[in-house]
Amino acid sequence: MDRATLPLPPVLDVQAVHKTYRLGAHTVPALRGVSLQVQPGELLALTGPSGSGKSTLLNLAGLIDAPDAGRILLQGADVTHLDDARANRLRQQAIGFIFQGFNLVPVMTVAENVDYPLFLAGVPAAERRERVAAQLKAVGLQDHAHHRPDALSGGQRQRVAIARALIKRPRLVIADEPTASLDSHTADQVLDLMRERGHAEGAAFVIATHDSRLTRRCDRVVALLDGKIEGASQ
Amino acid sequence: MNMWLKFAIQNTLRNRRRSIVTVSIAALGTAAILLAGGFALFTYQALAQAAARTTGHLILGKPDQFAKDEDVPLRHGLEDVAALRTALLADPAVRQVLPKVEFSGLISNGDKSTVMMAAGVDPDNEFAVKGPFLNMTEGKVLVSGSPDAEVMLGAGLARSLKATPGSSLTLLASTTDGAMNAMDVRVKGIFTTGVPDVDKRLVYTDIVTAQKLLVTQRVSTLGIFLDRMESTGPVQQRLAAQHPQLTVQTWMDQAFFYKSVRDLYNRIFGALGLIIGVIVVFVVTNAMAMAIIERTREIGTLRAMGTLPGQLLRTLALEGMVLGGVGAVAGAALSLGISLMLYVVPVHMPPPPGRSEGYPLNIAIDPLMYIVTLAAMVLLTMLASSWVARKTVHMPVVVALAHT
Repeated sequence: MDRATLPLPPVLDVQAVHKTYRLGAHTVPALRGVSLQVQPGELLALTGPSGSGKSTLLNLAGLIDAPDAGRILLQGADVTHLDDARANRLRQQAIGFIFQGFNLVPVMTVAENVDYPLFLAGVPAAERRERVAAQLKAVGLQDHAHHRPDALSGGQRQRVAIARALIKRPRLVIADEPTASLDSHTADQVLDLMRERGHAEGAAFVIATHDSRLTRRCDRVVALLDGKIEGASQ
Repeated sequence: MNMWLKFAIQNTLRNRRRSIVTVSIAALGTAAILLAGGFALFTYQALAQAAARTTGHLILGKPDQFAKDEDVPLRHGLEDVAALRTALLADPAVRQVLPKVEFSGLISNGDKSTVMMAAGVDPDNEFAVKGPFLNMTEGKVLVSGSPDAEVMLGAGLARSLKATPGSSLTLLASTTDGAMNAMDVRVKGIFTTGVPDVDKRLVYTDIVTAQKLLVTQRVSTLGIFLDRMESTGPVQQRLAAQHPQLTVQTWMDQAFFYKSVRDLYNRIFGALGLIIGVIVVFVVTNAMAMAIIERTREIGTLRAMGTLPGQLLRTLALEGMVLGGVGAVAGAALSLGISLMLYVVPVHMPPPPGRSEGYPLNIAIDPLMYIVTLAAMVLLTMLASSWVARKTVHMPVVVALAHT
């Protein structure tokens, strides 16, 4: 098999990770030997009740926390125990985040919020302007570029968050309850947008959610319970 | 504009009321420091000029004149003053050289005698160079070459002797040989120096009268008046080299009042400035601490997106700099406005302790003091902001994102 026909490695490869939190005198196991792979362009939903380990798994996948045991590979590279600077650089370049509460910077305009990851990555100003305009057009917010987030509806804010997460063309997007603050119609629109933009940019999504409408439209659903994978469905 | 600076400015506008209060306190603190400093500086300048005007910028005498007490008047006095004066006036920075005979003795109206501290001066040159340094309350100032022996009395001394212009008095002093000598004099004028204790003792007379009374041609010292204060050091070095057998003191060496006021004011205003500076820094620190606590979750979001702790620390330091800097600039403008207004609308201060006359309140405007104060405010508020932000920006991202 020549190099050109080799299969691409998974964007995310989580191998038997364990994570325990300490709450006072007690230790709480959040993840107990979880393994999972996410393929390029895949939309993966993580479901499970509160405390099942969804957010912990997202944190580990997003390199904002480290496991106690197990390995995490990002595009085939071991990123389990990176130092702060290298984890930071990877988050800057390869991972996008979408939060339940949008987490936009309120003093920045829509365009500035979307531009921020490019600014961090040191992209030249002229290129940034073009890419921000294109991204805002793609999420239908080109007319709101100079608005502040507080002037937008919840759905519009989540579109800004999606644009911000995808502007740097990440390999992996971590989304924590992205539709929890939205009504069903807006949630559908946001999910369509995530699917469409994800495919367009070639990004894989790992989405923690309780929303059954959302899970039905994902490529794969992984259910967690008490820190273990309870089941998976296509 | 730099993105971090723009972000910092935008952040200061989040909670406008808090920012306005912080900037206002920084402005008032800066204005208070500059006004207090300007007042002290003006006082130093005024006292320095008064001291230099009283003694001369430089005082030339024999070494023993400054180092030892005299058993008899003018034992350590200067001789051949005319030649020395001519040599001194040859220096381009020397504006005038005034001889002075200092002596003490008794002054009497026939019924009452009292102690006097007397100075024999060259009246025409003395009053021409020094300007109106004495406040004449009655009569006229002395003139050189008067055929009569004349004196000017301090107001307290004149009151004690019931003397008015035209009164006849007798001066009694020890001659340079140690014998007692007396001389009748006429009162030409009465003055006040503004210091009641001095006005009770001080007598001015013509140098010729003083030398006749003391039976000598010597003078105690030569007061050297220069073109400007800044020439003092260089001319002192030149004259010391030209006259190695003599001692050249500066006005500062004899300005005991100036030095004590300066020491006192430096301590008072230094402590005041420190307290105000600490208050301003605490206010900015407190405002920044509140802002950072409120934005912990946002800091977590920015960190998750790949912002380095150092970048966040920089923007938060810039935010502190904006608050402190805007406050400091506003305070400097306020201080400048008040200082200028005092020239247009004078405010008179009451007499200080030991003085009988008040003085106009003036505030010196010193560019260096303004620059140093503004720079210190900006630097301190930047450091304070960085200090309060350091813990939050280094907080684990997960913890920061979970902050409520």
